Amino acid sequence: MADKDYTVTVAKDLEDLIPVFIKNRQKELESLRAALNAADFEALRQLGHRMKGVGSSYGFQHVSVLGKRIEDGARSADRSSIEDCVADYASYLSKITIVYE
Amino acid sequence: MNELLVPQRTGLAREQTAFRVLVVDDDPDMAGLLIHLLEDEGLETETLSDGQSALVNILASPPDLILLDVMMPGLDGFELCSRLKADDATALIPVVLITSLDDQASRVRGIAAGADDFLTKPVKREELIARVRTLRRLHETRRELEDRRLAAEIQRKEAIRSAFSRYVSPRLADRIIHELGEGGGPFKGQARRSEVVAMFVDLRGFTRLTELSDVGAVVEMLNEYFSVLSDAAYRHDGTIFNMAGDSLLIGFNVPFPQQDAAQRAYRSAIAMVREFTQVSALWAHRFGLATGIGIGICKGDAIFGNIGSPHYMNYTLIGNPVNTAARLVQMAAAGEILVCGPVYETIRDLVPAGAVQPRGAVSLRGKSEPVSVYNVGAAR
Repeated sequence: MADKDYTVTVAKDLEDLIPVFIKNRQKELESLRAALNAADFEALRQLGHRMKGVGSSYGFQHVSVLGKRIEDGARSADRSSIEDCVADYASYLSKITIVYE
Repeated sequence: MNELLVPQRTGLAREQTAFRVLVVDDDPDMAGLLIHLLEDEGLETETLSDGQSALVNILASPPDLILLDVMMPGLDGFELCSRLKADDATALIPVVLITSLDDQASRVRGIAAGADDFLTKPVKREELIARVRTLRRLHETRRELEDRRLAAEIQRKEAIRSAFSRYVSPRLADRIIHELGEGGGPFKGQARRSEVVAMFVDLRGFTRLTELSDVGAVVEMLNEYFSVLSDAAYRHDGTIFNMAGDSLLIGFNVPFPQQDAAQRAYRSAIAMVREFTQVSALWAHRFGLATGIGIGICKGDAIFGNIGSPHYMNYTLIGNPVNTAARLVQMAAAGEILVCGPVYETIRDLVPAGAVQPRGAVSLRGKSEPVSVYNVGAAR
């Protein structure tokens, strides 16, 4: 991803909600890794589904994109695709910059 | 999965508005966002994270709108929505199901579950607010219509109560209104035949009274007289069928059955005589008039109902007991309560021994058979 994709613009009035949102994404990342290790595709599907719904709602389109890929991957038990997504997610969360407007 | 953190409220004051939205979503970030956006719109909100506790909460304290995530562990959004729509108490609360944009199957299930509207994830602020505003307007219109309907219903009942109260006691009026509400009612349909206790009351000394030169005083006295009589009749749940001149016809066991109809008639007769004595004493003092009331009571089969033409109709009681009671009242001297044999047999335990005067079998005008007559109002 280009650098600009790591910059997320969020509505100013949501600023107070973002720290918790980001912490929850970190926890989600841990949950994804644990589910992946356990090959628990149902848990992965649910996690992906949640990411898909919540990401763009807050303005984090890439979270939704990864969520959909994880959900689809879990449905077809495509472990390697999910692994790629989880790695992408980890990288995304570590590089993200938030701008409030 | 790790437990996710619950976002703190942003500190917006929770105003006491008329519109309360319940958000049911197991994802704290999604619930937090919805709550934030709704509170920003000035709405009162509440959030719950599972279907079961939402069901309990909604039944205990119904909100004005429910935003419901479809995917929840346990009782999911579809099932909760179906239950709410199947229950009369909650069926009218609008439910907005939150589904994924690409999830057509969930929409179809949601429609089948009775959802009023859908909100897609990712949630767009403008879409959420537009939907909530529309549903709020609908809700307010419905509530206004319901308020108006209730007000009209109360007004209608009051009009009926006020009309009936001229004929029956307030207790009977309430019962009639209740039965009308259930599609029935004693004044509906054909006249009926049933055993009734008919009681005639009239005034002794009425002719002298009408000769008084002060018309206002005559009317005032008649009003006083009829007030004493109708109060006593209503206290015992009698129904007034007719008021003519100085005469009053009251029915018992009609329009509703009264196991103790004859006893009620007797008690109201005793009360009338006693209470009129005081009025009579005042009149004697004021106008020098000698007055008193005579009463005739009989029981038997009679016909009652609305009788007349489409232009003029009366709730009427006709039949043998009415005719006999009319004859008895003509015979009754001031203070006398003349009852026919069947009435006396029913009430004899109530009548003090010294208060009974058997009059024997009396031939009454228009009656082929003599009627046994008792005065149960004899001075003790």
